[in-house]
Amino acid sequence: MPVVSITNLKKRFKDQEVIKGLDFQLSEGKCIALLGANGAGKTTTLKMLAGLVKPDSGTIVYEGGEKADFRRLIGYLPQFPVFYDWMTGKEFLEYAGQLAGLPKAEAKDRAAELLELTGISEAKNRRIGKFSGGMKQRLGIAQAIIHRPKLVMLDEPVSALDPFGRREVLELLGRLKKETAILFSTHILNDAEEICDEILFLHGGELIESGTLADLRTRHQQAKIDLVFKVNTAEYAEEISLLPPVSSMELKGDSASFLVEDIEDARNLFLTEIAKRKWPLLKFEISRTSLEDVFMKVVKK
Amino acid sequence: MKQWVTLLKKEMLELARNFKWIWVPLTFILITVKEPLTLYYLPQIIDSLGGLPEGAVIELPVPSAGEALAASLSQLNTIGVLIIVLIAMGSIAGERKSGVAGLILVKPVSYAGFVTAKWTSLMMLIWLSYFLGYFLSWYYVGILFEFIPFVDFLQSFFVYGIWLTLIITIVILFNTFIKSPGAVGFFTIGIIVLLTLLSTSLSHLMEWSPALLSAYTNTFIIGGNFPDELLPSIIVSVIAITISMIASIAIFKRRELA
Repeated sequence: MPVVSITNLKKRFKDQEVIKGLDFQLSEGKCIALLGANGAGKTTTLKMLAGLVKPDSGTIVYEGGEKADFRRLIGYLPQFPVFYDWMTGKEFLEYAGQLAGLPKAEAKDRAAELLELTGISEAKNRRIGKFSGGMKQRLGIAQAIIHRPKLVMLDEPVSALDPFGRREVLELLGRLKKETAILFSTHILNDAEEICDEILFLHGGELIESGTLADLRTRHQQAKIDLVFKVNTAEYAEEISLLPPVSSMELKGDSASFLVEDIEDARNLFLTEIAKRKWPLLKFEISRTSLEDVFMKVVKK
Repeated sequence: MKQWVTLLKKEMLELARNFKWIWVPLTFILITVKEPLTLYYLPQIIDSLGGLPEGAVIELPVPSAGEALAASLSQLNTIGVLIIVLIAMGSIAGERKSGVAGLILVKPVSYAGFVTAKWTSLMMLIWLSYFLGYFLSWYYVGILFEFIPFVDFLQSFFVYGIWLTLIITIVILFNTFIKSPGAVGFFTIGIIVLLTLLSTSLSHLMEWSPALLSAYTNTFIIGGNFPDELLPSIIVSVIAITISMIASIAIFKRRELA
């Protein structure tokens, strides 16, 4: 049974249709990335899932049905989390824990545990108003998971952080994965690849691709051969591109990349041709297109 | 219930951290106590400022104790009301504007609890400040003029308090559907001014108006008797408070928070 099922979700702000009909399900214990460029509708989708924005049409059904208060099941971190500046980090976590239904003593223990886990326990007695951006982000994650929700939604948890903080938060998410399902939005594919099992790719308010990383790779990745010649790479590349296994050719500075249908055929053919004509080959490399290339292609379509 | 206590404790702590428990009572005391003092010492004040020219005879009527206390009440009705609105106008709107309300309300928090905890904390702060100010004013009136029976003080205290409660509730109501604290303040003040103007200029048509509670309390302090229109006015006020409260919760539940 999925934690949440979304059917035909739509949202319009004034004259702009931001979400044009989303359908997907999130199941327990998975880490899913909501990937998309700025303005793709990631934040709006998460806000609707958290109940902060009401959809125009479509349904969001959490496990337990529409009657139950789904807020027990979820934890949510907005893109720019704001806290009560006059509280200390520890006070805020205990407050959040108690609001989520933990008894006072348990909220205290859990707050201490999470301050430790997120690495801000040194600052626990400092007013949140004096926290740095990275510390606030971590406090935000801590408050989102304090009641052990089944699904944690994080809106761009690493985008505002420096490389160091980003590393730490990603590692933290990697550890959290064992405890709860995570749905997090990002515009950076690398982050998604690093910790997620599945990707929902959002573009212009529509889900244009989704699945596990392995699936996406086999579905979209193509074999690629890169060649570099001592001189006149462009000239030689032109001739090679006429060979049958080549589906497309691209020149990048001194090197030429060829997308090919069958890697075995192509390798043999390329090498025999080059050897026969005695071309001054410097580099021969077989690789695959990255998911980044794939998504760039999809977005440009 | 447990959650409601948590919410209320947070509000209380916030009022403490902002020192509102100190400066709000102090302000209320200043504006109320100043009235009997200036009324009593007016002749001396005029003297010390150079006095009156030789031969000028001006009879300064000595105000009665009731008039002195009523003067404090009229201060509460202007500056006091303004302070209440200023304190309360951001209580929910401010949290929604900053975004922290979104963070809190994705937790399984009762909307009714959230609104009523805010209301309760404001009520406690305002009633405490109002009591201290009005009580000290009554005390100074007693020392400088003559003591008004304590029962009369209590009666006027509770009757006028209903009007202040209605104001607090209206500010909360506006808070639930206006996102900007400034606009909340503007509309609340607007409504109070409008209601007061209408009620006083059309007093024969609007005897039941809650805005006349201050006038009725005045009559009572000075003359010793509440007019007959007091009861309808109280009933209408209580109904208005209840409806505003229910409307606040209903509206707040339906609002998008982000």
